Amino acid sequence: MAALKPILLVEDNPNDIELTLAALESSQLANEIVICRDGAEALDFIYRRGSHEGRARQDPAVVLLDLKLPKVDGLEVLAKVKGDPGTRAIPVVMLTSSREETDVVRSYNLGVNAFVVKPVAFDEFFAAIKEIGVFWALLNEPPPHRGGWPSNA
Amino acid sequence: MDRAGSAAQHIDLSACDREPIHIVGSVQPHGFLLALDPRSLVVLQASANAPAAASVGTALESAYPELAALAERYRDAGAEEDGALYLRTVTLGLGPTRQSYEVAAHRIDDLLVLELEETDDASGEAGLDALNPRLRAFVRRLHGARGVEDLCQLLAQDIRRLTGFDRALVYRFDRDWHGTVLAEDGNGVLPSYLDLRFPASDIPAQARELYRRNRLRIIPDAGYVPVPIRPGTTAAGEPLDLSQSILRSVSPVHVAYMRNMGTMASMSVSILVDGALWGLVSCHNREPRRVPFQARNACDVLTQIFALQLSAKVRGEQAEQRLALGAVQGRLLGFMAEEDSFVDGLLNHPDDVLALVNASGAAVVTADRCRLLGAAPPEAEVRALYAWLSARGEADDVYVTECLAEAFPRAAGFADRASGLLAISVSKRYASYILWFRPEVVRTVRWGGNPVKAASPDPEGGPDRLHPRKSFDIWKETVKGRSLPWSLPEVEVAEDLRASVLGIVLRRAEELAAMSEELQRSNKELEAFSYSVSHDLRAPFRHIVGYANLLKNREGPNLSDKGRHYVETIIEAAFSAGTLVDNLLSFSQMGRHALNRVTGDMGALVEEVRRKVLRDVGPERVVRWEVAPLGRAYADPAMLRLVLENLLSNAVKYTRGRDEAVIEVGRLPPRDGESVFYVRDNGVGFDMAYVDKLFGVFQRLHRVEEFEGTGIGLANVRRIVERHGGRTWAESRLGEGATFYFTLPVREEAH
Repeated sequence: MAALKPILLVEDNPNDIELTLAALESSQLANEIVICRDGAEALDFIYRRGSHEGRARQDPAVVLLDLKLPKVDGLEVLAKVKGDPGTRAIPVVMLTSSREETDVVRSYNLGVNAFVVKPVAFDEFFAAIKEIGVFWALLNEPPPHRGGWPSNA
Repeated sequence: MDRAGSAAQHIDLSACDREPIHIVGSVQPHGFLLALDPRSLVVLQASANAPAAASVGTALESAYPELAALAERYRDAGAEEDGALYLRTVTLGLGPTRQSYEVAAHRIDDLLVLELEETDDASGEAGLDALNPRLRAFVRRLHGARGVEDLCQLLAQDIRRLTGFDRALVYRFDRDWHGTVLAEDGNGVLPSYLDLRFPASDIPAQARELYRRNRLRIIPDAGYVPVPIRPGTTAAGEPLDLSQSILRSVSPVHVAYMRNMGTMASMSVSILVDGALWGLVSCHNREPRRVPFQARNACDVLTQIFALQLSAKVRGEQAEQRLALGAVQGRLLGFMAEEDSFVDGLLNHPDDVLALVNASGAAVVTADRCRLLGAAPPEAEVRALYAWLSARGEADDVYVTECLAEAFPRAAGFADRASGLLAISVSKRYASYILWFRPEVVRTVRWGGNPVKAASPDPEGGPDRLHPRKSFDIWKETVKGRSLPWSLPEVEVAEDLRASVLGIVLRRAEELAAMSEELQRSNKELEAFSYSVSHDLRAPFRHIVGYANLLKNREGPNLSDKGRHYVETIIEAAFSAGTLVDNLLSFSQMGRHALNRVTGDMGALVEEVRRKVLRDVGPERVVRWEVAPLGRAYADPAMLRLVLENLLSNAVKYTRGRDEAVIEVGRLPPRDGESVFYVRDNGVGFDMAYVDKLFGVFQRLHRVEEFEGTGIGLANVRRIVERHGGRTWAESRLGEGATFYFTLPVREEAH
């Protein structure tokens, strides 16, 4: 069996990174957690280029994507990933502070898998992160590979 | 025309309109005509009755030096004036052939035409000097004349006195070129035609044009034999243009017409007002009669003075009417400017709208509105008329008719209200009209003979020829479906109103556009602001709550009791600030999002909301729900859901202390086009003294330790309900529960 797929957290705010990591920690997942600080780096990771050129050929189990990011924003990353047949199957969860309805609508139109508005209440936030991590990293069955070589071929 | 084709050929009345009467090729025999080369004064054409000495090809100088000198002087003076100019009286020949002539000259094409009209020696001296006192007296009397008919009467009298004809008529053309005899002076020899009407076909279009160009015509003897002009064509190969000629032979049809009228001599003088043919002075004599050139000139001068006076009178009357209508227009403009919609300015002042153009009814019609004023036709008819007007596709800004049914046959059905129509289009884009109506005025017109003139077959079996009618017996006709005509000032004031309305509408549109631009801009700003609040302002509160919680959970054991209390307080405060931001955002979104109204089941919506609200109710609470049948409502479901969420969760919240909370949701009978819903609880209620504050933003009637909340919920409720066009209010007594009402307008069924 291949190594556990990493969880990709795309977030520019260090506080949010720390709080999210704390929450994921409490869910006791064994997956590696990769952090990208902007949308451009997230795309580099997903497409194994730039500073991520040498990484193992493996899609993340889930991308936790903030909406508002430097360089390439969350919606652009989402559009790129979901618009590409090669990466479309990667689950993307918008994890954001925005409550703007237009953002929600646009995200779903672009094919987001879930849209989570980070709750202000800490318990709820913790619970949400834990559930997301457990669900997407453990429970969710990804689509089988078809028409392509196994990732470690 | 005499040689018109087969006997079966249809001859219509307008055939007369095409008869080329200005190149008829002959003159009357009471004088002769010479067409000269203007440089050499050689005779190029001559009427057959010209003296042999002046035959074609001779130089006038050698035949009649006196005439040649006159012609030269005329030529060198370079007269620009249209029409024949009287030069002087000359006497030609000796002994029995001695004859005096009045010489007139005019230029036509590249020819100089001399016409010599026979005259008695004595009459030649009746110059303008002799007429002077008469003219002065005429002008004096004209000044004293009261109306147009008075003026006409004076003219008829003076012209008859000057010329000695049996009868003189002043004849006025109407819009359709029918003529009516307005004044008459006669000696009883010929019948009276006063008040009679003559059809337009009596004086065909090209005759009218000649009348305009050549103001005076005379036929001394209708029994004359025309004298041909030889050669028949000019050097240019054309027949000689006789439109300025005083001897010109007239159409055989006209001569027959005169004979039918029993008149052997006639003279007519054109009355031109502002260059247009207003009418004629028409003189007749039973016996042949000549009128000296000087007397004719005097008639022409009299008529011109009359025309000036007439024009001044008409203008004066119009100016007076303009002034009166202008005052009405000024008032209307004031009213229109005061109102939000110019239409209201009109509708609220129906008397002025009607008085503006002296109409008896009016309507303001747009695609979706039809408002009637005064005696207008029924709405269905006005709408049909509106459809017809907008479908015409012509670019007329103003449409005027005195006989609507002629153009729009359906109008015959409501002629009593709208035989006359004056319509202005006040918006091209949205086809909007202001219409004014005038009722039918049935009139009896006395025609001078049956106006339906017909060609009759020649009894001798020859080709058909156009015969003028033979009977001038009075023939009465009842004219229906016509209103009084719209006067020029009335049409103009309607045009002015149109311009003003367009101005007002345009200004409004510009103001609206500016306002909407401003609104759009501020809405965009608000959106940007709200977006950044949504994203950036929430985050720090989340972080405070998050870190404080981590501190509490992970470092809690190391803190003192006081320290833990501080951390708890930080968490609560930051949490409530975060909640406040969330609520503010939803409040601002309510105002910005478009309403998307549909009809739906209110009961189902309440049930859904009730279940959601119940999730936050602790298991220790006892809540009894009494939900009455609620029927259907027309609203934006997403927004209405927020209203219900707020009202139901408030009801749950403020009944917290009750052993059994009772929450009722119901609907009152509709009133004033509104559905009324209410939510009632048996909670703590509120003091009615503060009821005004209840629905304001950030207004709270309870301390935060008693009941949590940000004070935005009811503000949201009011905002949403008002956006739907409804109202909100509340009733309560402290400690005895509260009832919150909201209304939604009942949907107007589509027509």
